[in-house]
Amino acid sequence: MNDKEIYKQKKLFKYLLIHLAIITFVVICVYPLLRILSVSIRPGDKLISTDLSLIPAGATFAAYVRLLKETLFLRWLWNSLLITVATSFIGVSLASTAAYAFSRFKFGGKKGGMILLLSTQMIPAGMLILPLFLMIMKLGLMNTYLGMIIAYSVSSLPFSIWILKGYYDTIPRSLEEAALVDGTSQLGAFYRIILPLSTPALSIAFLFNFTTAWNEYLVARVVLFSSKQYTWTLGLFELQGQYITQWGMFAAGSMLVTIPVLMVFLYSSKWLISGLTLGSVKG
Amino acid sequence: MDILYSIYEVLWFALIVLTGIALIEGYFYYHFKFYDRRWFFPVALIGFPLAAVAFCRALGLAADPFRPLLWFLGSEALITLFFRHIVKGRNQLAYLLLAPAFIGLALLLVYPFIFEIYLSFHDLKLTTIMQWKNTGVLPFVGLRQYVNVFTTSPLSEVTFWALLGRTLWWTFINVFFHVTGGFALALLLNNSIRFKGFYRTLLVIPWAMPQVVAVLAMRGEFHSQYGFINIMLVKLAAAYPILASLGIGPVQWLSNYPLATCTLINIWLGIPFMMVVILGGLQSISSSYYDAADIDGASYLQKLRYITIPLIKPVLMPAVTLGTVWTFNNINVIYLVTGQSGGTEQADILVSALYKAAFTYNRYSYSAAFAIVIFAILFFISVFYLKSFDAAKEER
Amino acid sequence: MKKKFFSAALALSSVIVALCSCARPKSPLDASTIILWEQEDAQVAPYIDSVLAAFKNLPENKAIQVVRTHYQTEDLRSQFQAASLAGVAPDLIMCPSDTAGLFAVSGFIRPVDGLIDTSKYNKAVMQAITLDGKIWGVPVSNGNHLMMFFNKKYAKTAPKDTDELFKFCATDARAYKLDFCMAFDMGEPFWLMPWLAAFGGWPIDNKTPTLDTPSMRSAINFYLDLKFNKKYAPPECDYNCMDSLFKEGKTAFIINGDWAISGYQQHFKKDFGLGLIPKVSSTGLWPAPMVSGKYFMISSGIKPEKLGIVRRLMEFYTNRDNQIKQFKELQRLPSLAEASKSPEITGSEVSRVSMEQISKGRPMSMATEMRAIWDSARNYLGLATSRKLSVEDAARKMQENAAQKISEMNR
Repeated sequence: MNDKEIYKQKKLFKYLLIHLAIITFVVICVYPLLRILSVSIRPGDKLISTDLSLIPAGATFAAYVRLLKETLFLRWLWNSLLITVATSFIGVSLASTAAYAFSRFKFGGKKGGMILLLSTQMIPAGMLILPLFLMIMKLGLMNTYLGMIIAYSVSSLPFSIWILKGYYDTIPRSLEEAALVDGTSQLGAFYRIILPLSTPALSIAFLFNFTTAWNEYLVARVVLFSSKQYTWTLGLFELQGQYITQWGMFAAGSMLVTIPVLMVFLYSSKWLISGLTLGSVKG
Repeated sequence: MDILYSIYEVLWFALIVLTGIALIEGYFYYHFKFYDRRWFFPVALIGFPLAAVAFCRALGLAADPFRPLLWFLGSEALITLFFRHIVKGRNQLAYLLLAPAFIGLALLLVYPFIFEIYLSFHDLKLTTIMQWKNTGVLPFVGLRQYVNVFTTSPLSEVTFWALLGRTLWWTFINVFFHVTGGFALALLLNNSIRFKGFYRTLLVIPWAMPQVVAVLAMRGEFHSQYGFINIMLVKLAAAYPILASLGIGPVQWLSNYPLATCTLINIWLGIPFMMVVILGGLQSISSSYYDAADIDGASYLQKLRYITIPLIKPVLMPAVTLGTVWTFNNINVIYLVTGQSGGTEQADILVSALYKAAFTYNRYSYSAAFAIVIFAILFFISVFYLKSFDAAKEER
Repeated sequence: MKKKFFSAALALSSVIVALCSCARPKSPLDASTIILWEQEDAQVAPYIDSVLAAFKNLPENKAIQVVRTHYQTEDLRSQFQAASLAGVAPDLIMCPSDTAGLFAVSGFIRPVDGLIDTSKYNKAVMQAITLDGKIWGVPVSNGNHLMMFFNKKYAKTAPKDTDELFKFCATDARAYKLDFCMAFDMGEPFWLMPWLAAFGGWPIDNKTPTLDTPSMRSAINFYLDLKFNKKYAPPECDYNCMDSLFKEGKTAFIINGDWAISGYQQHFKKDFGLGLIPKVSSTGLWPAPMVSGKYFMISSGIKPEKLGIVRRLMEFYTNRDNQIKQFKELQRLPSLAEASKSPEITGSEVSRVSMEQISKGRPMSMATEMRAIWDSARNYLGLATSRKLSVEDAARKMQENAAQKISEMNR
């Protein structure tokens, strides 16, 4: 009886401790967001404030209203959303098949291919502006969404392929072999067995594709030049001048663009944790 | 527009040439089944382009033999690879699966890479740039730019080697804390507790937020007088005089410890990503391992050491390797934290120094060589990582 | 379920891709379209558009299209270079003179001598765009110079010299319990140059840096004194910090550029005061801010048949009426000599003081060597003012380093 109570208390204590630890981290993560919120409702376009109050004196939503009324913000948001969603789906589908090849086949140049993938990330991105510009122009992709989508889905491929390959490797081959014996094709086995089992990795890859494309600036700057085609990153940076930046609107925009990403994350939790079926078949 | 059209024409021409060659060659190869022989690669790769160039020259088509040679060599390589691996059918499916990804990568990244290599052996700077545009020719300088990379420095005070050391240190500290922080959070979140999804969403905020604003907001917190951190330090020192006597007090973060400030901010920024990756990785570990360990009476740490860490490696490894590469090349934080205030050199790493050379001083060739050196360093680091990972796998 | 999801996703993405490729816009690059790139602050865009619209409404310009694209300062530079190399440069760019040297040396812009009568613009603003005897741009506005602003709640007038300023700081500023008496961006060498001039120096002589001088040492010592002995200025403060301090009324004086005037007028209303940067009492010299302006520059890749349109556009943009309109809307001083003498300009206090400050200033050199000077000055100024290096060493190294960077750049 007594032992059980102690055990219970211990468990409760552990439970509280976990919550406490997580909440501390949550505060660290959320605090700057709150500061940005306060910049966005602070009058006078000030980035820094000398006091710590989160709700500034004379708080106003004028910046939000101006952002939506005076700029093409909604249009930019829509452009970004289109590009990002297309990028994420294309990127993940390309990566999932390529990773399958890397994980399940033995072929010449497999190791080299994996390293080649990595090495595409090793040249400092800023150095690619000039060749990228020439390239995009030669391909006739200037100022098109297609150019952006190709560039984005390709540039996050290396990470997606690597992470998916790592995950596929943990799925026992016996599962597919059983299916192959039953007469399924190799691709069928991939589609019916591997994909459903690797939703956690797929959702990591998806989230990665999504956030990278959503927040990207450099390529967008090279490819797009008319403000109707802009993504929100280019649009918001229009508010930043050499000396004067309209911090109020800038912060308001930043708050608004964070929402879709958080929604995607919230939704992704279902997929991120759903590989649990693995437990029953492994080992 | 004219230029666009002329380029289209050139591309079309190249495509037609390539198809033509492939058809003729293909017939021979297929008919005689040369592609099985051991001498197939060397003979095809050396013999054919040379013959083609000789043929062109005989017709008086190519004045400069170098470029066509490259063209033919490239086409030939593609054709031979195609025959060897796809026509033979040994790995048809694998190559088909890989093809879209690699064609995309080649499209986007091969040209820039060759471009950089070309620049690094030539001399492109402000005074030669117009000549290059008009004639397409640049003075060839051999390895001089590479020598310059190692002997001079784009910065005033800091040498290349000191910068390299600083960069390695910056990368190590950042990646280390990203992984440990991410791991700790993922383990905490992997417990069955309430509000899990909610917590997880809030914890990814630094990753989800636009980086510019996130960094600028954090930077504000490091202000010597009005930043949250120093205000807290002042209050702490006032409340506990013993801390003040130990030297804890407000710090001029941005002017005295810019790199440390950047590191702290970058760590904050990078943890959520690792957390999500590790959280996903934890799903790949079957609970039966833990059940078995529980029966054996293993402690929490033992389970961590012998089950979690080894089994999460396949997922963690790519994230760590790429994280290293990205951190090594990441200047967003450094630029945003120091660049706007007065660009001190105390926080520069290799890549930010490179950008100064490239964009401030327009030393394009020098910076191209610099970028290639960075590439080589990273390449070595990654290969070393992967080798050690493979070794660890075999051990197990 | 999942299968459906995936096939739906694939279908969706392919449809999107198809749609996007259809949406490719026509490239407006024919002979009557002028592409203009600018890097102005966002609040300036409506003004530019209004002038461009007025230009298009002139009867002879009915067929002309002017496409304006905004870039950030750094982006404008890199994109203009890339586009010039690719042969698709915009016809016109509008930017400050500091990137002009780079464009001129690399041959991306063409001189405007002979195309436009340059004698009708103010002398100083033309000097700032002259390199190797050629004129590389048409000035849109005059200024971009630093001056002193103050909060009339605390100070009635601007101090004439530093003695007066320090007296105010020692007495009134204390009485008002201000955080700091004055604030300005002490990390950025642009703010150092006026003071350097007031101690008798200037950073560049033709194309040679002149940094290791007694004047530089005095200027740095002046900074150290302000920061650490007198404590009138904050020890660590960048642009955003000084701006916030001033707007929140925590400092009485700020040194900032003419670009900030309209923002401060809106913020402070009648409490906004402006004046000259005070004379340094110990030398009796006025600080000389660097003066330049915004300029139109013409791409060297422009088609000859467009030159006429571009010339008309630049002349229209800088005609008397538009120069006065520009002053009224943006508080930017005219570059056209005729306009700067007009009653609208001489009649207002803001422009009078601003003009006077310009007359005390000196043209900013457009030589590419300035880049090296800015960078090494910034670095060693930072080291000296955070007391990591002695003033003597800092000045000496500043000079050595600037010279070295210049030699590397030209090697």
